[in-house]
Amino acid sequence: MDRWWSDGSETGSRLWQGIVAIAATGCLLGLAQNALVRHGDPKSGLAWRYTPPKLDSLDDVVAARSDAQPGGSTPLPPDMNDPLQIGGSATSGVPDIPDVGRPIQIQISKVKAFFDAKAATIVDAREPAEYAEGHIPGAINMPYDQVVTDPERLEEFDPQGKPIIVYCGGGTCELSMSLGFSLVNAGKKKVLVYMGGWPEWSTSGFAVAKGATPEGA
Amino acid sequence: MSRLPAFLLHPTARRAAQIVAGLIFLASALGKIADLSAFSSSIHNFHLEPFIPMAATNVLAMTIPWVELVAGLALLAGVRPRAAAFVYTALLAVFTIGVIAAMARGLSFDCGCFGKAGAGPVGAKKLAENLVMMAVGVVAAVERR
Repeated sequence: MDRWWSDGSETGSRLWQGIVAIAATGCLLGLAQNALVRHGDPKSGLAWRYTPPKLDSLDDVVAARSDAQPGGSTPLPPDMNDPLQIGGSATSGVPDIPDVGRPIQIQISKVKAFFDAKAATIVDAREPAEYAEGHIPGAINMPYDQVVTDPERLEEFDPQGKPIIVYCGGGTCELSMSLGFSLVNAGKKKVLVYMGGWPEWSTSGFAVAKGATPEGA
Repeated sequence: MSRLPAFLLHPTARRAAQIVAGLIFLASALGKIADLSAFSSSIHNFHLEPFIPMAATNVLAMTIPWVELVAGLALLAGVRPRAAAFVYTALLAVFTIGVIAAMARGLSFDCGCFGKAGAGPVGAKKLAENLVMMAVGVVAAVERR
């Protein structure tokens, strides 16, 4: 004990004791803290089981808002069978997008409506090579990994007040989901994620563009 | 351990390494504890499902920062610093394997290593950072004679 602060001489079982004690204390404190937080307010803290993030669909968001404010700004859809009319304005066929501070999931029919009306900025979150092979005409290529290394790209991106539709290669589409959250965090409004993505769009017979530019080569 | 250069075996070097390692873990623990849900989605981004069930992600998010906190405080206070340095180095080794695995699979995302504030993308730079921090841990873990 030549120095008051340190006893770094532990070896063998005493060393293991220390390692186990530190790990166990940490784990117990963490579990206890989370349990306490959840005991106080079940909505805060973390759930014991992890569930991957899921986006609300536009229909759910619109429905939740019209429930919350009956007779409010969002009229009930006149025809539930026509997705374009849900929460939509009669004139353009393009739905109004509420600003909810998180990305919203959107289906292909509404993507097409926005596309036809040129009422949204479409963003392709895939790699440039995939983008060049084919993309939705007018879509801007913004690969998610480039955004991670160069956040300036988000700052420079100006959707000009239009809703932003992000898509990628379909499936669970982590790229567009992550990019959607990054866009919201960067202060962008009305961020929509088109989960069907390129596989669905390209097999639906809608217009496509090839090449490295938005309108295609 | 004895192959380290002599100046790294000096008690002062070891104590300094322990304090640096302690500060690193304290910062990283507090950054994560401040926003556990952000940390849990960072863990999700590593896509460790082949090794660790996805449902366990939150349990990792709850416990890892607190183990870091306890190890960090032990390193700073000099209480069982050698054991704490082993915990520090082992945890960093696990993180580094995660980073390498993510890079090998071409994943690119914010690692959430220091919580939201000190975030950086997973990549070569992060890997180098981790290796330097692990080296600090090795110096801190040298047995006092």
